[in-house]
Amino acid sequence: MPSELPYAADAEESLTYDELQVLKIQYEKELAQSHVTVQTTFNYAWGLVKSPVKDHQVEGVRLLGELYRNEPTRRRECLYYLALGHYKLANYEQARRFNTLLLDKEPTNLQAQSLASLIDKKVTQEGYIGMAIAGGVAAVGTLILASIIRRAHK
Amino acid sequence: MTSSAPAAKPNAPVNVKLLLIGNSSVGKSSLLLRFSDEQWLPEDESSATIGVDFRVHKMDIKGKKVKLSIWDTAGQERFRTITSSYYRGAQGVILVYDVSNRETFDALPRWFSELETYVSDAVVRIVVGNKVDKEFSRQVTFTEGQQFATRMNCLFVEASAKTAVGVRDAFQEVVSKILDTPELWQPVTSGNKTGIAGAGKSAAAATMQSNQTMPGSVNLHEGAEEESAGGCMC
Repeated sequence: MPSELPYAADAEESLTYDELQVLKIQYEKELAQSHVTVQTTFNYAWGLVKSPVKDHQVEGVRLLGELYRNEPTRRRECLYYLALGHYKLANYEQARRFNTLLLDKEPTNLQAQSLASLIDKKVTQEGYIGMAIAGGVAAVGTLILASIIRRAHK
Repeated sequence: MTSSAPAAKPNAPVNVKLLLIGNSSVGKSSLLLRFSDEQWLPEDESSATIGVDFRVHKMDIKGKKVKLSIWDTAGQERFRTITSSYYRGAQGVILVYDVSNRETFDALPRWFSELETYVSDAVVRIVVGNKVDKEFSRQVTFTEGQQFATRMNCLFVEASAKTAVGVRDAFQEVVSKILDTPELWQPVTSGNKTGIAGAGKSAAAATMQSNQTMPGSVNLHEGAEEESAGGCMC
């Protein structure tokens, strides 16, 4: 029996307040000493991206973007979490862009494949919602128009 | 069909959280892929896990329906701090090494000390020696593996994700032992806490051991709950 896919565990689960604090304190301590290690930055960015708070996600994505540019050895995990961060922020185009970069390098990466189908699913869903809203607007517009015409006829 | 109180139904599935840990490239993800999807990817097509991967798998065992959530953690050193956050709430841990790579077997005590830090003693542990298909380049004998497991007071299986030998056994043995330990999964009579709640080691114990963990890692649980009644720390 195949397992239930797709799923991105890191998109669903967040850290506790205390856990994120540990990572934040470590990061800020190193920042104050003006020597922030790659590991500390990555750990904190990961914790931020997992958070349900939008500001955290934005900050996490920013840190990951910096790491991605400056640390070639950390590219694959940065790509994955950049994709995940943008996915959580509902920036599906950006999410897909980063995830595709990872898939180009690792076409059989199951985590990236899974995330790709999650992104596609969301885009389709949003598409339907968009259509429904557009449809709703059109329907309301028609009603208003109809009532105006009716009034005009009276 | 949805019931508001699934715990009250005798045929409601038991939820079990399993964790796969061990050095990188020992085949944790391959074991999971073989177990859940009956697939296998050759080495050049498989990629190192980023952070964590996750799968849900349903099985029937001992007349009970079990819903397994399996957390497949990254073995690479660089993910050590972040993978420790996935230990929370696990009822079973599968420690994997590669029988054709002694270094991965020698690393097991370090993994056991991680477990001591993060999970309760009641949590079921199994040591799995993977890649027995590489018999010609074996570096750790069956007896060695078994004796180590006995010393650590946990289960032991040799397996191969490639040939599928022993894979199902490994998962079934852990789950079966978990089912034999009701305190791990039976809901506590009142409230919404499950049996596992409170089973985790105290924060103090975790902090004490934090200096013994792997280099470059931060103990995520340190400081946590030190001000016991938490709330706002501002």
